[in-house]
Amino acid sequence: MNIIETNQLTKSYGDFTAVSRLNLHIRKGSVYGFLGPNGAGKSTTMKMFLGLTRPTEGGFQIDGKTYPGDRVAILKEIGSFIEAPAFYGNLTGEENLDIIRKILGLPKSSVSDALELVGLAPFRKRLAKKYSLGMKQRLGLAGALIGRPPILILDEPTNGLDPVGIHEIRTLIKSLPQQFDCTVLVSSHLLPEVELMADDIGILNHGRLLFEGTLEDLKTSAKTAGFPTDNLEDTFLAMIDEDNRKRGGAR
Amino acid sequence: MTLGIETKKLKRTGYLPAFLGGGLLAAAFPLVNMLVRSETFVSLPGDPFQILMDANWQMMAMLNILISICGACMMYHTEYADNGAQKMDVLPVRTGNLFLGKFVIAVLVLAAMVAMETAVLAGCALYWFPAYELTMPDLIKQAGFQWFVTLPTVMLMLVIASACKNMWVSLGIGAILVFTLTIFPQDNLVLSLFPFSSPYQLFAVAKQNSSIPLFLGVCAAETVLFGLIELILQKTRRCVA
Ligand SMILES: Nc1ncnc2c1ncn2[C@@H]1O[C@H](COP(=O)(O)OP(=O)(O)OP(=O)(O)O)[C@@H](O)[C@H]1O
Ligand SMILES: [Mg+2]
Repeated sequence: MNIIETNQLTKSYGDFTAVSRLNLHIRKGSVYGFLGPNGAGKSTTMKMFLGLTRPTEGGFQIDGKTYPGDRVAILKEIGSFIEAPAFYGNLTGEENLDIIRKILGLPKSSVSDALELVGLAPFRKRLAKKYSLGMKQRLGLAGALIGRPPILILDEPTNGLDPVGIHEIRTLIKSLPQQFDCTVLVSSHLLPEVELMADDIGILNHGRLLFEGTLEDLKTSAKTAGFPTDNLEDTFLAMIDEDNRKRGGAR
Repeated sequence: MTLGIETKKLKRTGYLPAFLGGGLLAAAFPLVNMLVRSETFVSLPGDPFQILMDANWQMMAMLNILISICGACMMYHTEYADNGAQKMDVLPVRTGNLFLGKFVIAVLVLAAMVAMETAVLAGCALYWFPAYELTMPDLIKQAGFQWFVTLPTVMLMLVIASACKNMWVSLGIGAILVFTLTIFPQDNLVLSLFPFSSPYQLFAVAKQNSSIPLFLGVCAAETVLFGLIELILQKTRRCVA
């Protein structure tokens, strides 16, 4: 069953199309890796899901609900982290999460729960603006994970983390569906990273979906198309390159 | 609930100290005025409280407006500085409620400021005009009126601050509006009903011209109107983003 589905989802800024006729299918209980180079439209797509920006055309449905009518109901089910961590610098990490907790109507214990989960517990009393980049990132993640929402939308969650942190967060994300019974949509630039976390993969380039399916499907289709398959990074680069060349030729 | 959340966001921003400081400064004004040149005022004919209002309220109202401008800028600076506003946008709350929470806080601290100022004015009147008798209901009506005619200014300033991600832009717009509307003649009825101008209106003068209902009505309407504009702004921002 698909918990998130888009139907010809399109977003244009003026005459520039950032996201073009996207048809995504995200299975309930899966980790979906959303892959693409800079400017591919990953963040834009996620922002549309969260109601931060309005689709120009097409639509989507999340757990049977549609935007804009069910905006608040959709947001109740999603924990999210978009682009850069968003927080109040004048408050401590703990106070930041407490605001979110109050809005979501969660029990008090959920704050320390979330802090533990992302490894911020020792720094709970420090002002968020005094956090290091990685700590801010972790605070953002904690704000998404608090309350264990059924859907998680994470935009490049390992950005700015150290190698140990990256490993920790990847492992955490991979374990989320079993642990919390949730669905995760996670974006990244790196196929090897997605490979470690995701069940399904969607590859985006210049706003268009090049591929959607499991890792196995990707390998199979890459083989038929004649792309290198022994190293997935190369597969990804070849696919993007091929698409860019086609686009260049069409112009 | 939103009120509690909005109050919490203001922690360590210097918001309450700013209002306390502003209120003390405004309240010190009549006091210093009387300490330095009480002879000028005690010899004047008429109601002592009104003599003091005439002499000091322009300055005090201006301070109230300036502090309200700073307050609105501070409130939205905490929202935009580290992008906290975006986090609010993806939580299941109506952004209109959050704005309303900010407005309620702003008018409550303004009320505290006006009350403090009125108390000092009343104290001065009683001290320097020993024969003067002051009744509490009158004082409350007086303070209530001065508070109410400042509401559109507070609301408009919050709308401006919420629309500008850069605090300095909203601060600049606020300062420009303050000075533009003080340059306009004060005796023009229509102009005196504008935000940034209505706070200077004296209760006694409005009473004399029996324009109290007019001021209350127009200020209430302006406040509601600016509130609606904010709601429309929030809607369109989501569409164009
Ligand atoms: N508000 C906007 N106005 C105009 N263009 C925009 C706006 N927001 C995004 N874009 C454009 O849309 C395209 C997609 O941007 P988006 O942020 O979705 O990319 P992304 O896939 O998240 O990239 P990255 O990996 O760098 O985060 C980019 O070309 C960007 O310049
Ligand atoms: Mg992005």
